[in-house]
Amino acid sequence: MKKRVNLTFPRSVVQMPVTYRLAKDFNIAANIIRGQVAPNQVGKLVLELSGDIDQLDAAIDWMKANNIGVSLTTGEIIIDEETCVHCGLCTGVCPTESLTLNPNTYKLQFRQQTCIVCEQCIPTCPVQAISTNL
Amino acid sequence: MRTIAEINEKILSGKATVWTIEELKAKVKKLGIKKTYEKVDVICTGTFEPMESSGAILNLGHTDPPMKIRKCWLDGVPAYAGFGAVDLYLGATALSDYSSINDHGDNFPSHIAEKGGSHVIENLIAGKSVTIKAIGQVTDCYPRASFESNITAETINQFYLYNPRNLYQNFIVGVNGGDRILYTYLGPLLPRLGNAVYSSIGAMSPLLNDPHLEAIGIGTKIFLGGAQGMIVWEGTQHFPLQKRLPNDTPIGPAATLALVGDAKKMSREWVRGCYFKNYGSSLMLGVGIPFPVLNEKIIEHCSVEDENIVAPVVDFSIPRRVRPSFGLVNYAQLKHGKIKIEGQTVTVASVASMYLGRKVAETLKKWILDGDFTLSEPVAPLPQDRSFVSQDGII
Repeated sequence: MKKRVNLTFPRSVVQMPVTYRLAKDFNIAANIIRGQVAPNQVGKLVLELSGDIDQLDAAIDWMKANNIGVSLTTGEIIIDEETCVHCGLCTGVCPTESLTLNPNTYKLQFRQQTCIVCEQCIPTCPVQAISTNL
Repeated sequence: MRTIAEINEKILSGKATVWTIEELKAKVKKLGIKKTYEKVDVICTGTFEPMESSGAILNLGHTDPPMKIRKCWLDGVPAYAGFGAVDLYLGATALSDYSSINDHGDNFPSHIAEKGGSHVIENLIAGKSVTIKAIGQVTDCYPRASFESNITAETINQFYLYNPRNLYQNFIVGVNGGDRILYTYLGPLLPRLGNAVYSSIGAMSPLLNDPHLEAIGIGTKIFLGGAQGMIVWEGTQHFPLQKRLPNDTPIGPAATLALVGDAKKMSREWVRGCYFKNYGSSLMLGVGIPFPVLNEKIIEHCSVEDENIVAPVVDFSIPRRVRPSFGLVNYAQLKHGKIKIEGQTVTVASVASMYLGRKVAETLKKWILDGDFTLSEPVAPLPQDRSFVSQDGII
């Protein structure tokens, strides 16, 4: 199964090779969705973890035990249907083509599964119809 | 040859054949121009796109004692008051000077700067209440110095859109060849040709189907913001002499129209305030034009397809009036979502809504079929010979 997690690294654990340990010790494939990591600074990482459900839970426990902040409530992009005018301006800045116009109806369609929550669409929307629930 | 009077008779007796521009194009492909001409009386076009050269005229009604307003703010957005005592013009792109929230000592919220005249217009059309603050010039005729109140569309005399430049006949495609993000009236343009944005709905767009403005004129009744409106003049920067393809469509921005309509009868669905980050406020507007099928030439022009209409790709990273172009692309390529610029594949998006543009055409078609909308005879043609001058004077 897959789990999306928000990780916060205190300065002391920024040096730890987390994705390597996840793969080696828990057999978990960690797909980095967003990251902000620099030496001696608090780091942020959004990962999509895929692996066995028990291994996932064990990995999350292990990360918490190592002072890594784990949050499972990752933001999702939300489109307000009432406000959207279906211009499609957001589709041009979406790096994963999760936002597209239906070729027949020209209505905006959003595929949550492929969205990496980069949030580029939010300031692009001229009618402020896009937000995150973070 | 048919006349508008004949078509109107058919509309009122429920016998008119009315098609949207998309239906018309499909029929021409099947039947050819001659046979299609025999079948159809009216073609409905529509678009929904940002048209920033728009605004509303408001007449408040007089206060007691009366007042000559010289400065005025509606929900914090300044409106022009340099004419009759309580006449105002609220421009779509005017940005708010302040927020009423601020009066209560709250911190200046960031979203206030993202509100403009277009949002106030939308709110009034939606039936919402708007604050007004006014400062007057005290005279013997108008002794009052200031006024604060709330208004709605119902509590003022006139509230109509008067838009100096709407419905561009074709436009450009914006890209950014520089190395930093640019915030433009086409939305954010990502560096190193990161995206491209166009703003016309191509072959569905009203004026691209009547390239020489032969089916319309001053006085033509139209769909404007969900109500009946009118073409009242050429638009500002009207440039019918733009270079054209053999099918008569222009290769860049060309004709424009000045439009008027009663905002009290409009609906929020078709009049939307919008804001482009770090650029400003603009008005997204639904406009529909019915073409009377008077002759075969009108059908021929309306049969134009996206493949045969082009727009120039313009680099916004050069901050000059004339920006370098990467050449022309056609609307079939643009609507496909990818174009090639100098060997690089670039994602393209539109700032105009094909979904709502189609809905405008369908709504106008329904009005005509229901006998609620008849066609009007133009009182004068739109000029065909306007040049496009620039300010090149040397100080």
